[in-house]
Amino acid sequence: MGPLAPNELISENTNFLLAFFIGIAFGFVLESSGFSSSRKLAGIFYGYDTVVLKVFFTGAITCMLGLLFMGLFGWIDLDLIYVNPTYLTSAIVGGIVMGAGFIMGGFCPGTSFCGAAIGKIDAMVFIGGLFLGIYGFAFTYGWWEKLYMAHYLGEPKVSTILGLSDGLFGLLLILAALAMFVVAEWAEKKFPREAY
Amino acid sequence: MKPLKLLALIIIPMGFIIAAVPQNKTNPYKLTAEELLNEVNTRNQYVTADVVADMIIKKDPTLRLIDVRSQDEFEKFSLPGAINIPVNDLLSEDYAGILNQDIKMNVFYSNGTLAANEAWMVTRQLGFTNNYVLEGGLNYWFDAILNPQKPASTSPDEEFAKYDFRKSAGQALGGGGLTVQGTSDQTSTSAKPAVKPAAKKKKASGGC
Repeated sequence: MGPLAPNELISENTNFLLAFFIGIAFGFVLESSGFSSSRKLAGIFYGYDTVVLKVFFTGAITCMLGLLFMGLFGWIDLDLIYVNPTYLTSAIVGGIVMGAGFIMGGFCPGTSFCGAAIGKIDAMVFIGGLFLGIYGFAFTYGWWEKLYMAHYLGEPKVSTILGLSDGLFGLLLILAALAMFVVAEWAEKKFPREAY
Repeated sequence: MKPLKLLALIIIPMGFIIAAVPQNKTNPYKLTAEELLNEVNTRNQYVTADVVADMIIKKDPTLRLIDVRSQDEFEKFSLPGAINIPVNDLLSEDYAGILNQDIKMNVFYSNGTLAANEAWMVTRQLGFTNNYVLEGGLNYWFDAILNPQKPASTSPDEEFAKYDFRKSAGQALGGGGLTVQGTSDQTSTSAKPAVKPAAKKKKASGGC
């Protein structure tokens, strides 16, 4: 049956429409959970607020379980799911750049738009920086191309590399996530902040 | 702490379930019976011998001929540049990358069209595109390309053009020339086969 768009069960336009509504819902949930405050996001690096870690990991695990079960029931063909190809070098360099921007700016791209939507000036400045970065990268792409394309690995799965079944790896990831949540809540108690 | 416990209570059992069940590796068929029947009826999977001959001679890099007969037969005779994938081995993992791709034009051929059509139907049902069948198979190939019959003198010009092309193509592809060389009045007498472009390349349309 699924995925809906690649199997042409819904048109591309319907796909965009659904994405539009999902995007609005995503933004609404981000804002209502307080993600439009840069202090909340920065909190993960100082330990006083680990909601970001918990929310995104819970999201990832929910999604993983959903896909695995739907694949099991034959509702979705997992081979047709688009997976971002891995370019190892740019993944590492990009991760460092993004992480640094995360600490300094206190936003990730999605939350900065949430912040801007409720009128936060720091979020708007962040968006300005975002576009500077995008255009800067695009116009100097020639300089980075080699680095950008280095160490192409295709679309590897951690489970295949470890030689585990997808389900077993899923279980391990769930246990790891829960362990992380416990550590995160311990950190919140250890490094509390009164108001932020 | 409570939400964390609740979360753990829900996702840990689910994790155990998903780890315990075998992975679903079935490859669902992408086309319904009606859709396939419809495709069969339109005959869009066929590529004519002339088109294939033209592509071989021009060394068209997009063409990939796939001989679906047994290895013995393949070794006795095969079309230039063809690879051998017997129908029985069609679903082997080794060939997945060859059959399921969107760059090359795969043309299956067998002696007739039966085995080639079987291969086409299986790959088509798996949702693969860009797989075609050589119309008429090798039997027709021998008749039409390697040993073309001169049309009657009253035939329309197109028939002669087709004959000329087939004759020169046949010579280029290592046939024909032995039999009728020298008796023709229409074709050029140059030794080098002058391959005229075949009728417009009619790449089978349709598919997805």
